[in-house]
Amino acid sequence: MVLGTQDVTPVSFWFAVLPGASVQLDDLVAVQTRKPDGSFVNFYGIVDHVRTRHEGVTFDSDVQDVAAGLLPASVSYAARVLVTRVNPENFIPPQPGDGVRHARGDDLRMALSADKMGEKAFPGGLLADGQVLPINYRFVNGENGGHINISGISGVATKTSYALFLLHSIFRSGVMGTGASAGRALIFNVKGEDLLFLDKRNREVESREAQAQAQKGLPDHRYALMGLPVEAFRDVQFLAPPRPGSAGAAIVPHVEQRAEGVTPFLYSLREFCARRMLPYVFVDRDASVNLGFVIGSIEERLYRMAQGAETPYLTVDDWQPDTEQVLDEDVRFDEMGSVRIGTFAQLVAYLEYKLLDANDGEGDRKWVGKQSPATLQAFIRRLRGVQKHLTPLVRGDVSADQAARFRPDPLKPGVQTTVVDIHTLSATAQMFIVGVLLRDLFEHKERVGRQDTVFVVLDELNKYAPRDGDSPIKDVLLDIAERGRSLGIILIGAQQTASEVERRIVSNAAIRVVGRLDLAEAERPEYRFLPQSFRARAGILQPGTMLVSQPDVPNPVLVNYPFPAWATRLDEVDDLQGRKVEEIGEDWLH
Amino acid sequence: MRIRLDPWPVDIEGGQLTLKDFNGEIQDVETPRWAAIPARPIPERLRQVFVVDGKRRMESRLFIEDDHGQSGLGGFGAYVVGAVELCPHGTRQAELRAVKAARILAHAPDLRIDPMTLSPRHPHTGQLEYTPVPMTGTDALAALNVLQQHMLAAEQNLSHDLASRVPADDQDDREWLSALTVQDGTLRGRNLNGAVVGCVKTMETMYLPADRASLLSELKPGERTPVMRMTYSNGQFTRLIWYVRLCEAAFYQHPMAGVMRLEMFAPDDPSFLPPIVRQVANLSGTLLRRLGSHAHKDPRAPQNLIPTAALEQAMGRSMGSADLVTRRIRAHIAGLQGVA
Repeated sequence: MVLGTQDVTPVSFWFAVLPGASVQLDDLVAVQTRKPDGSFVNFYGIVDHVRTRHEGVTFDSDVQDVAAGLLPASVSYAARVLVTRVNPENFIPPQPGDGVRHARGDDLRMALSADKMGEKAFPGGLLADGQVLPINYRFVNGENGGHINISGISGVATKTSYALFLLHSIFRSGVMGTGASAGRALIFNVKGEDLLFLDKRNREVESREAQAQAQKGLPDHRYALMGLPVEAFRDVQFLAPPRPGSAGAAIVPHVEQRAEGVTPFLYSLREFCARRMLPYVFVDRDASVNLGFVIGSIEERLYRMAQGAETPYLTVDDWQPDTEQVLDEDVRFDEMGSVRIGTFAQLVAYLEYKLLDANDGEGDRKWVGKQSPATLQAFIRRLRGVQKHLTPLVRGDVSADQAARFRPDPLKPGVQTTVVDIHTLSATAQMFIVGVLLRDLFEHKERVGRQDTVFVVLDELNKYAPRDGDSPIKDVLLDIAERGRSLGIILIGAQQTASEVERRIVSNAAIRVVGRLDLAEAERPEYRFLPQSFRARAGILQPGTMLVSQPDVPNPVLVNYPFPAWATRLDEVDDLQGRKVEEIGEDWLH
Repeated sequence: MRIRLDPWPVDIEGGQLTLKDFNGEIQDVETPRWAAIPARPIPERLRQVFVVDGKRRMESRLFIEDDHGQSGLGGFGAYVVGAVELCPHGTRQAELRAVKAARILAHAPDLRIDPMTLSPRHPHTGQLEYTPVPMTGTDALAALNVLQQHMLAAEQNLSHDLASRVPADDQDDREWLSALTVQDGTLRGRNLNGAVVGCVKTMETMYLPADRASLLSELKPGERTPVMRMTYSNGQFTRLIWYVRLCEAAFYQHPMAGVMRLEMFAPDDPSFLPPIVRQVANLSGTLLRRLGSHAHKDPRAPQNLIPTAALEQAMGRSMGSADLVTRRIRAHIAGLQGVA
């Protein structure tokens, strides 16, 4: 019952825990109080503080007398509630002595505002007592708000696991409506090959969930409690960069563990120019203003060069590479005397010619414009620096059919989830591919509108959209964060430290999730949405546990989520498709 | 010239040491040899020790007019008795028992008074119920006296109800000492045959003759004097008494600091020492050293036992806030007289 020795307010109060009862942090409770006119006001809240102490003692050492059985003292067990809901909204305080009960069923729905969510709620995990935390999809898909942001220490908080769990929940809970293929996901795999088995069932999921069910005393396994299938992701395509090799070698994906089902991706050289991808090569923070101008100018020149033909390679008729370059870069001469540019390296060489060598060292006046040679040299130097990394991704030495087949297309018909493996790429190449894919997605959405929501899952946000500096990727991510929800692009972003990410990207996320944090990080202003007691606890959260904040519920809620039903490592892949060995053996015998 | 301090604070009237003369009769009943007896372990069979105490509070003095034209003085009073139950071996948590306040409306004997209930104006607070009790006199302290009598009677009943029974003579069936009641202060008037020991904190009266008093200074912690039979000078009450030392006296304190007098009811037969009494005496040093308080925590250490201090606190709480009770009484009178 509500205490009388502490202030009772409409937004926070303490209650005594009676003998035989047990209250823990994050329990949801309900209180009803009666007004003088006889009507009732209901309070719903979450426990954010619990404590016990002896009553009837004065000195610290009295505990020894109590333990020795000499001094009678009672244990006072009390908990503090942060109110999440008052219904009706009469903000009177509860009265001391009012009974406090554990929120279950309808009370829980009121405490978590699930009554407002209606059929737009999807499960975000389980509370400590095994009840389901509803998340309002309208604050994910952009209707009322959008985007999800997840913070936490790498490897401990399992940010990616929770992001994938949320995707699974959104796709399979029915919250997206009746369209069978409604909703798509674009997932960037930035570490290891862990995400390359999303479409394979995890052989350990059943034993792990049975174990969790027993440990937590749940009535059923966690997937069943949330109404979700224990299944891997469906309709998944895996894209990986081509394995580096000489021209003419077979184009195979650069992966080690997964033997099949992965498609290499690349862009043709003509696409690189025609679709203005040059700015995404320059992603470092200290790009100078002058360089920005040069980039824009060259981008335009390349765009013009790429018009009028459909071949993956480019042809120019004003370039005579030096004899040494012929040997190095395998330049081929057309019969008409034109030179074919078939690799990114050759494109760089051509640009160097046009800017620095043509016209007896003055460069082609139409390309150079009024830039100083020093600036142009810096531009070429920058391109030389990234040439090695981008050559496998931008190629003109492939057939038109190959170019079409290997072009990455997250919106390909029949595909719901796309995993783009970028973990083997250098930082520059990673940012290039992320930036281009996101920009293409954004432009597509600007043309077709909100239908067919696309979720972008991106880790290491502090790398792609750092707080300081500018880059084309950061611009795209900011566009998504600020305008994406009205276009149907939802960013599920993750980072170790939200304080290093562009502020507007984090603050635009309506759903914020915190896993385990470094305690110094937990004190940053980015985490002010967490009450102090939650911030202190973020340092000791276990894997599989998250603090979820959503607009409908004023306080964050602690949830646990199930072991992934999809494999996260090669050795977790369920080769038996869920069937028993004996069953498969019988099949072979027939 | 040597000076020593009284161990209790100056503001406690009388202090711990006053040493008034005793005019009654003392006789040896355990042994004629006047020497310290060492502490003995607590018997395994003794499973419960109860520390019992009572507390009273006058809440209001009254002038009462009944419905038949009679009038007289009276008073509202509250009293509470309670016990702390503990295991002398320290195996169980100590618990408060039977701490419950009762209230009386003391009135002149010839008045006809109905029970009075003072109900609260607001929910979640209790109501006060005053039971009418006639006073035995009409003087200014009559109400307080009747309150005191009720408290003492309740305390006596509780003490003996909780304790093992002590045989009155050799022929009585014996009961093992399994439950012992420790009562704060001297024993109350009637012997109800329970194993009740009164713990007297002060040295108000020196019962020992001069040639025996020096033993008190020589006792070591836990040691006791032999049991003696003491009859008050009016011949009305007889007690079995002994002294026990709980702790060493500090160098600046008088040498009898840390000593406590214990008393139990005496059987009619002057030569009979009930075995239970001897058992209690033998274990008293060990038990009281465990229950004794510490000087830095209790200004009346060690004689104010640890459970007693907690019991006093609980009894005070049980009677409620004196200010609130006074306000409730005034509100009740206002209600009776139709005052807003």
